[in-house]
Amino acid sequence: MRFPEVLKRLRAIVGSDAVLDRAEDVMLYEFDAGVDRGTPRAVIFPRSTEQVSQIMRVATEASVPVVPRGAGTGLSGGSVARNGAIVMAFARMNRILEIDLDNHRAVVQPGVVNLELTQAVAGRGFYFAPDPSSQKACTIGGNVAENSGGPHTLAYGVTVNHVTGVEVVLPDGRIAQFGGKTTDACGYDLAGFFIGSEGTLGIATKITVKLTRLPEAVATLLAIFDTVDDAARTVAAITAEGITPAALEMLDGWTLRAVEAATHAGYPLDSGAVLLIELEGLREAVEEQAEAARAVCNAQNAREVRKAKDEKERALLWKGRKEAFAAIGRLSHSYYTQDGVVPRTKIPDTLRYVEEVGKKHGLHIGNVFHAGDGNLHPIILFDNRDADQTQRTLAAGKDILEYCISVGGSITGEHGVGMEKSDFMPLLFTPDDLEVMARLRNALNSASILNPEKILPSTRSCLEISGAPIPQGKPAQSYRGEWL
Amino acid sequence: MSVASAAAGITRELAAVVGQENVLEDPSLLQKFSVDEVAPTVAVAPGSAEEVAAVLRLANERDCAVVTGGGGTRQSIGGIPERADILIATSRLNAIEHFDPADLTICIGAGAIVSHVQEEVARHNLFLPIDVCRADSATIGGSLATGGNGPLQQGYGAIREFCIGVKFVTGDGKIAKGGGRVVKNVAGYDLMKLMIGSLGSLGVIVSANFKLFPRPRRTRTFVAHFATLEEAARFRNQIVDSPLAPMCFELVSPEAEEYLPREAIQSVTDGDFRLNAPPPPARTLWRVFLRAAGSDAVLDRYHRELGKNIINEIEGEGETRLWRAMSNFSETVLSLNRYAMFVRVSVPPQFIPMALAAAENAAMENNFMCAAVGRLGIGSLVLAFVPLLEEPPAVMQYGNATSALRSGLPRDGWAVVTRCPSDAKRHFSVWGTTPSDLQTMHILKQTLDPRGILNRGRFLV
Repeated sequence: MRFPEVLKRLRAIVGSDAVLDRAEDVMLYEFDAGVDRGTPRAVIFPRSTEQVSQIMRVATEASVPVVPRGAGTGLSGGSVARNGAIVMAFARMNRILEIDLDNHRAVVQPGVVNLELTQAVAGRGFYFAPDPSSQKACTIGGNVAENSGGPHTLAYGVTVNHVTGVEVVLPDGRIAQFGGKTTDACGYDLAGFFIGSEGTLGIATKITVKLTRLPEAVATLLAIFDTVDDAARTVAAITAEGITPAALEMLDGWTLRAVEAATHAGYPLDSGAVLLIELEGLREAVEEQAEAARAVCNAQNAREVRKAKDEKERALLWKGRKEAFAAIGRLSHSYYTQDGVVPRTKIPDTLRYVEEVGKKHGLHIGNVFHAGDGNLHPIILFDNRDADQTQRTLAAGKDILEYCISVGGSITGEHGVGMEKSDFMPLLFTPDDLEVMARLRNALNSASILNPEKILPSTRSCLEISGAPIPQGKPAQSYRGEWL
Repeated sequence: MSVASAAAGITRELAAVVGQENVLEDPSLLQKFSVDEVAPTVAVAPGSAEEVAAVLRLANERDCAVVTGGGGTRQSIGGIPERADILIATSRLNAIEHFDPADLTICIGAGAIVSHVQEEVARHNLFLPIDVCRADSATIGGSLATGGNGPLQQGYGAIREFCIGVKFVTGDGKIAKGGGRVVKNVAGYDLMKLMIGSLGSLGVIVSANFKLFPRPRRTRTFVAHFATLEEAARFRNQIVDSPLAPMCFELVSPEAEEYLPREAIQSVTDGDFRLNAPPPPARTLWRVFLRAAGSDAVLDRYHRELGKNIINEIEGEGETRLWRAMSNFSETVLSLNRYAMFVRVSVPPQFIPMALAAAENAAMENNFMCAAVGRLGIGSLVLAFVPLLEEPPAVMQYGNATSALRSGLPRDGWAVVTRCPSDAKRHFSVWGTTPSDLQTMHILKQTLDPRGILNRGRFLV
């Protein structure tokens, strides 16, 4: 089938106003918030599960790949079109279908914005726990695809821990239900397997999520350290003490100065690093844990531990954290954020290594990350107009990820593999591991009609493990990076 | 060639893989590995993932049906095996392969006994919240394969929420892993979720990595009782809509009380107890057991919030005994009545009364008594159908009771029979229907076990 004929059939399904194919329109969909780009041949906006199903039937028949896309806030190229694909965008499937507070569940369409679900239930004392920094824009469908996390996933878990059921359209157009409203799965945990598959197995068209009760009490501490080392050691010490913060974030000195200049959050300008520690739960427990956390910080040479006096102070501290990437965007033409994970006890060594990598490649690297679960976000500053800098940046990113793997870590904690890190997969997995994953992908998405060339490396690098190439994407403009 | 000789012919080859001392072919000794009275022809205990893979490749070549066994505590789940040519015992895969107390992570061989692992991590003041039935025999691999859970699911989530990595061998003999050793990780497909609850039908689990938790320094269990299930359900709503976050929140039906330690049920005073109310008449009351962890201030808060509903507060040894008995509920019932049937039911929690009413009717119509325990906050129930008459029930009664139960469940609810007499299994489906897509399950099964050698007949037949 020739492409104009495909377009004609797609327009017949969704209406002509719901298909874009002019160059100036589709250009807006050629990137996400990461480094990769790819121009889709068309963008289509379904309104219903049935339309998604019909679109997939046409796409399969015509062998036109489809890339699902929420808000495009992803950081690993998961929603970037490859192989002459069309993009399926979920802006028109954005309704909350059901709120079932009795069972602590909601059923939503994939295009519902993460924060909007929380806003819809907050008045009744509930929220949707996964809180990516992009939660004002990112969609729950995207969260499901990427198994998104956020600062508070330390205590509450990532998206997969908060979704019990997914209605899925498979590549051949078949509509299937994976899981439901019950907490436990009957038979294989298809929903659990599907979440985090980055749009390579099917398209979520209806999502059943858990709603969590808002905590009764919250305490937010800002612990200020003279050195990165002291702050990094404190992270493992807090864990070892049996304290489970809801969030435990770290900003190094350079980053917090950048943030302070932009947001005036009240971060101390002369410190080496700060930890943002949040405790939630029963009032009595929060008070005790906050004191215990303060004691640990002091024992690890904290210069000062401040406690947010009220919601306004708390919000300001978090504003600094959540807008850190936008603040950095003011300082650098471009930046590249990595998402490596290390065991928590390895954080001090890893941060020292990151600093060395920066020196080796002549680049500045800032650190603002989810310290509590060892999920680093080294931010490499560079100018993407400079080819040499760009190459050095990608090489530095690779060095860092290789180090994370060498200490027992992972290449991605929450951003997903996408197209950015698919060639790193052989560093983490054996050829047999990858073959089994490829088999599973092919079983449901045999012709790679859905989101081609994502997650799994190309066959060549799969075979040549030692010679895995670094990603060749063009780094994006920095201003988009705020959606982390 | 007969089925028996198909397996017997490869005994020597199996011995070459795992060592003669790790092959068992004496029929009298193999009886104890029987699954629904189907005894394996040969049992092997591989000592590594590579040996498991070699055994499975051999089984594929000879079209031998394979059953995997851990502690044997949950082998009653599933349909009757079509055959059991080779039983793979995970007993030698029992090492703690990696333990980082400071990182709160551990990698454990599938054959490790749950309670042994718990003792080991407790030495470091850590906690692995797997409270399956018979934890002193059950293995880590078996707990994963059966999606085993217990009362701690309320506070810590099911195993799927804290299993961070898995290594397994596919049905056709490929060693594969998913996840890793860090607590947050989205690299690659989530093979942990795929393996958990798949009942050994996709692969043989070799080892798994877990996130550990700080061991609660102090816990207390509050016991409430109610004249009706409706009152218990209202209490449930009051708790889940409060800021309280219990570790365990368990409902016990009036019929279930005799399977739990008497001291926890009756309001007797000893060192472990406080008495707040006169003892109620027995056998008519619904009981709720709420376990909380925290300091004195936190536990006092529970005491205040729970108020007049509480008849007992239990700490210390008595509390440990109570929760062990709660986990072992089905085992205790079975030891008293070998013809009992056990059903695992899951419903959205508001439908717990509806599910229990359906169970009650289903039991009565078929000459059973239904004893139930379950996770009030989650909607996960363990039902024991105990025959009322002394002679064994007719085989049809099991299927009829199950059908009646299923027909009374809400949409999204499901009921899986986890144990009943083998004869009865021939007359109905122990699995029933699932809200999840069966066709996709079959595709995945076909993908990882193309020749269908794993647990043939037991799951996805």
